[in-house]
Amino acid sequence: MTRLLRPTALLNLALLLVIPTTVGAQTAPARGGTLVVAISADPGHLNPAITTSGATHAAAELLYNGLLGRDERGEPTPELAESWTIEQNGAAYHFRLRPDVRWHDGTPFTSADVKFTFEEVLLKLHARTRASMSGVLAGIDTPDIRTVVFRFKQPYAPLLLQLDATEAPIIPRHVYQGSDPQTNPANLQPVGTGPFRFVSYRKGAEIRLARNPTYFKPGLPHLDAIVMRVIPAAGTQVLALENGEVDFLWAVPGPDQSRLRTDARFRLAQTSYHPGGSNCIMTVGFNLQRPLLTDVRVRRAIGHALDREAFLRQVLFGEGRVAAAPISSELAWAHAAGLAMPAFDRAEAERLLDAAGWKKEGEATRVARGVAGVADGARLAIDFLHFPAFSKYGELMRQHLGAVGIDVTPRPLEPAVFAPTVFKDRSFDTNVISYCNGPDPEIGVRRMYHSSQIGPAPFTNAAAYRNDRVDALFDQAGRTVERDRRSALYRQIQEIVVQDLPYFWLVETPTTRAWAARCDGFRPWTGLFAEAASCKP
Amino acid sequence: MSPRYLLRRLAHVVPAVAGILVVAFVVIQAAPGDPVLALAGQHGDAAYHAFIRQKFGLDRPVLEQLLVYAGNVIRGDLGHSWVHGRPVASLVAERLPATLLLMTTALVLSSLAGVLLGVAAARRADRPTDLGVRLAALVGYATPSFWLAQLAALTLALGTGLFPVQGISDARRAWTGWRHALDVLHHLALPALVLAANELALTARLVRAGVVDALGAEYIRTARAKGLPERAVVRHALRNALLPVVTVIGGRVGMLFTGAVLVETVFAWPGLGQLLLSSVQTRDTPVLLGLFLLVSGAVVVTNLLTDVAYAWLDPRIRYE
Amino acid sequence: MSEILRTPAGLAGGALTVALLLLAALAPVLAPADPFASVGAPLMPPSWSHALGTDDLGRDVYSAILHGTRTSLVVALGVVAIAATLGVFVGAVAGFRGGSVDELLMRGTEAVQIMPRFFLAVIVVALFGPGLDRVVLVLGLTTWPAIARVVRAETLSLARREFVDAAHALGATTGRVVVRHVLPNALPTALVVISLNAASVILLEAGLGFIGLGDPRAMSLGYLASNAQRFLRVAWWMAVFPGAAIALAVLALNLLGDALGDLANPRRPSRGRPA
Repeated sequence: MTRLLRPTALLNLALLLVIPTTVGAQTAPARGGTLVVAISADPGHLNPAITTSGATHAAAELLYNGLLGRDERGEPTPELAESWTIEQNGAAYHFRLRPDVRWHDGTPFTSADVKFTFEEVLLKLHARTRASMSGVLAGIDTPDIRTVVFRFKQPYAPLLLQLDATEAPIIPRHVYQGSDPQTNPANLQPVGTGPFRFVSYRKGAEIRLARNPTYFKPGLPHLDAIVMRVIPAAGTQVLALENGEVDFLWAVPGPDQSRLRTDARFRLAQTSYHPGGSNCIMTVGFNLQRPLLTDVRVRRAIGHALDREAFLRQVLFGEGRVAAAPISSELAWAHAAGLAMPAFDRAEAERLLDAAGWKKEGEATRVARGVAGVADGARLAIDFLHFPAFSKYGELMRQHLGAVGIDVTPRPLEPAVFAPTVFKDRSFDTNVISYCNGPDPEIGVRRMYHSSQIGPAPFTNAAAYRNDRVDALFDQAGRTVERDRRSALYRQIQEIVVQDLPYFWLVETPTTRAWAARCDGFRPWTGLFAEAASCKP
Repeated sequence: MSPRYLLRRLAHVVPAVAGILVVAFVVIQAAPGDPVLALAGQHGDAAYHAFIRQKFGLDRPVLEQLLVYAGNVIRGDLGHSWVHGRPVASLVAERLPATLLLMTTALVLSSLAGVLLGVAAARRADRPTDLGVRLAALVGYATPSFWLAQLAALTLALGTGLFPVQGISDARRAWTGWRHALDVLHHLALPALVLAANELALTARLVRAGVVDALGAEYIRTARAKGLPERAVVRHALRNALLPVVTVIGGRVGMLFTGAVLVETVFAWPGLGQLLLSSVQTRDTPVLLGLFLLVSGAVVVTNLLTDVAYAWLDPRIRYE
Repeated sequence: MSEILRTPAGLAGGALTVALLLLAALAPVLAPADPFASVGAPLMPPSWSHALGTDDLGRDVYSAILHGTRTSLVVALGVVAIAATLGVFVGAVAGFRGGSVDELLMRGTEAVQIMPRFFLAVIVVALFGPGLDRVVLVLGLTTWPAIARVVRAETLSLARREFVDAAHALGATTGRVVVRHVLPNALPTALVVISLNAASVILLEAGLGFIGLGDPRAMSLGYLASNAQRFLRVAWWMAVFPGAAIALAVLALNLLGDALGDLANPRRPSRGRPA
């Protein structure tokens, strides 16, 4: 036999491909080593103060701090502020800042940074902080470089719960002053105070962080470096964890959990904290400005047509709860149990649609017969906007509503486009949004219902819901400090909105984090999840 | 190769480029709604839309708009992405190297393997080896790249633990120099093999056909008659059979890009695939148009290069 | 035609193609369930009640694959119909007229041939919204060049033959000559190109589905494969069967094309253009 081309070139290549695994095993990382975190979307920028986008917050919170932190039970802990006092029955808060904090570029951190961040950035651009505080805050004073005073027009209860890096990360005044915070180049070269400092950002690929050697918390962090890897496909994320390429996943898909749980190489923990917020409810929003949806009977019919147990079973694989009230059950004191939410009942849905003038005439999709504002014969067809990651919600909506004669067209849109389409252009019929209630209803619930919160800021009142009574109740709850009285006010609000149905609340969505068992010390309930983490080599 | 050939071949580039530009322009104009939406990516504010209108001369007659558009593209201006807030050309340039690395590796691998298999098949034409090679190449072609990628990730990566399932490098080690190169090769292996498997069929077929033809040709029979060893005879035959392999590289570039972007999404390879996918989800049409123009341009250029190379390699070629 | 079935490849390709066409045509009858309806528990492995298992929404994978194959073949047939019409027209005109008309048409053919069809389809779907009609149209309008080349070559070789002159002399119009004499002669080679093109269209359609640009109203094999990506470790059946269906369809059309090629050109070894 004679040979034409020797396949040695290919063989050499094959050998080269195998070598790195053996080389890699020798170099042991010093002190703590490197943690590799999978993130599902390229964040675009790394400034968590100008957005509530989960992609940015997941990737960037470790670079920053809030005035306060949060412990496992959600109680405030000292962070940039070492102590605080509440005055005038909750209408003024004094914070004493730590003296030893420096920005990653060496500049000392002062009270001016706090004032600047709130006034120029958070109150303008952070959806929840803006919605909850901008109407009630009277001013921020900085009598000296270590003191910050928040003055409110009325008692304001939730402040201490919204000062962590998720709700109010503090950014450096000396970097951002006099510029547009949305286009400042520092959003791509961030300077923070956090346990890790920025090293590099390769778009669409990875973000590298390194230990902040002068972090103000003694002995922290343990890790030398963190790499945030962009891996969009959830299936690939799990493969990468199991293959040892990645150490930490923000969210493990339901069906994979039981396998990982029984595998000694991994640890799992459930939390209701999300990188963009906490205590989130997947919520269908109705555009009340569309004639198709102004009749509450149609919205109620949609509620009856949706089998929320199926959402829980098929989308969340049982991980979570069917929403029993508009406010999350994680906020037990504000959550109104025992409300009459529309139950899954197709016959009732059909009856309501018939009554509203949407008739079945042979075709699968109902048509209008005497519906106000809708031409006779128009089809009952609606679009349904959602993030690409929520496409399952679209498919189930289409399935469930199709069964009662409503034609649904799902429209997947990335967050960057979803937000202006829904909140600025209001170009949608229905949508689904993961509305995070936050640690207090004032922070994450008010923005969904108060008429002052109708666009254009993202993730506010998507339904364009207006109800004077609800506005008044929210305003009253906001200036009330005692929990019992607030609890009663929120119950009244929930009773009204369940009747009006500007939204339909599907499921509460806790998530499950997973990490390699050789790593330890995570705090899954905060954005500074790896501040105290360490990994054995 | 005469200068006359080169000139005539270069002249062919003109209708090709014009065709691409006209198609892109027609699609933009025919799209529902204002063309500004296609060029701006269906989002952005009034000021941005005014900027795009002015930049593309959208208030002028259609023919003039086409010229403005063509002028922009030919100057390398592929438009502007509102979502990223940056020119499309720079977005593409950031991610192109990773995709090119994947594509060229797959091209080289599939060409080498295709030549080996093609020759093996030709030497045993219509015998089991031949049929086996042909069938294998066909199966490789028929298998969707993304599916092969999924199967490879499950079996070759997770099954053996020898290969990574994502990325272009090991996130834990910021290696430099030759170790970085080895690390990248290690990550490149599976995506490149998957893509190469798809691409193998064409080369193997062409080589087989060429060698079978050549082995029956006059000059080979002469060589054999002169008592040349079989090995040298086949080498002779192969030389001629390789020419068509070179010429089809241009035609393969479009398919390679398509395969690459699909494989990239499975292996989280940080190239154009992820940009394409996220731009599809944001309806960031300037980026999608830019990718179309880029790939079209790459096909035109490689076609030109391979034709010239062909003419240079084979002095017998004359322009018909 | 029966000669095709004499070679093993031709037999396999022919039989598989016919089987696929039948499955696609009868999908609504054969499928045990609505491909979009949740009919079982999610993520059930293959069993007696669900031969190929269920997906994450409890939908029957077997039914989804039948309907997905139907979508693939509908798109492929539509594209091929447009491409064949255009290709025959352009090829015949170029071949008969010759000269500058030929030159012009061939430059145009080259320009279309280099169009990256996948990326063009991506733009069209992104701009016009998802839908099978526009996918068929855009792929049809870009798939004809190979057919045009074959028909042109055949026309060129025939135009000089006596019977064509004779037909002309008898008063037959050019169109009639094309239909009566050129097409039957060009058909075997054209069929090779057409079957290979149909195969490539199936791959393109699957690719569009995989990146989420399929028609949400029609089940697509590419969509099934991309949905499987999320559940690779827990539901291998979601990934394996749709991909295998695509591979089988493409393989069948290629084998058929090869066999047709051998038949049309018995002296030459099989060759084709799988792109």
